[in-house]
Amino acid sequence: MGIPTIIVAALSPVVRQNGAPRAVAPLVPMGANAGEPNNPEMQKGIVVDALKQLVEIDTPGKIVPLPYEYIAKV
Amino acid sequence: MALTTIKGLQSEIYVPITPEPVWAPVKKELSEMTVALVTAAGVHLKSDKRFNLAGDFTYRDVPGDTPTEELMVSHGGYDNADVNKDINCMFPIDRLRELAEEGFIKAVAPIHFGFMGGGGDQQKFREETGPEIARRLKEAEVDAVLLTAG
Repeated sequence: MGIPTIIVAALSPVVRQNGAPRAVAPLVPMGANAGEPNNPEMQKGIVVDALKQLVEIDTPGKIVPLPYEYIAKV
Repeated sequence: MALTTIKGLQSEIYVPITPEPVWAPVKKELSEMTVALVTAAGVHLKSDKRFNLAGDFTYRDVPGDTPTEELMVSHGGYDNADVNKDINCMFPIDRLRELAEEGFIKAVAPIHFGFMGGGGDQQKFREETGPEIARRLKEAEVDAVLLTAG
């Protein structure tokens, strides 16, 4: 028996293409998938929601958008 | 209309093939789960060997009790600025520890894994690195894995 997984993705089309079984997609740039640096509140929200979706997603390949947004200042 | 004009003709352009998702069912409550992190973000111990930025299918162990200040990233495929400020934005180990303390999950796994995604030898990743990491996670009796990649 395998181990259930959930992926936190910045680029959801890439995750879809690679056949990830369960995914969540906050609005973040690649490199800050789990949220803004030094923003533990956002990071914790993303981790908690990702783990909840690990349990809730019942369709292989489903990607659930998450309501967190971080725009990196480049 | 015949669609085939020359038999056996193949396009020179490679098209990615989307594999069928591999599905492992959830069999426990979150509060009963030991959770591990696995990341393609190139996370490893500062004392460990850096990844080869030109492509690297190897992986690094990150023990569950590693302080975050002992972690770093070597990855040539994305802007490391955020993760250099706070490793938790790709490897949220401190958040996972808080969730274990609060009882939201049962425990932080004794072992986590980092590798460098975004390229490299895909066959090696698929046939060697991936199965080896899965085997190690099984050995550590991990119930669920949170991945960051893509």
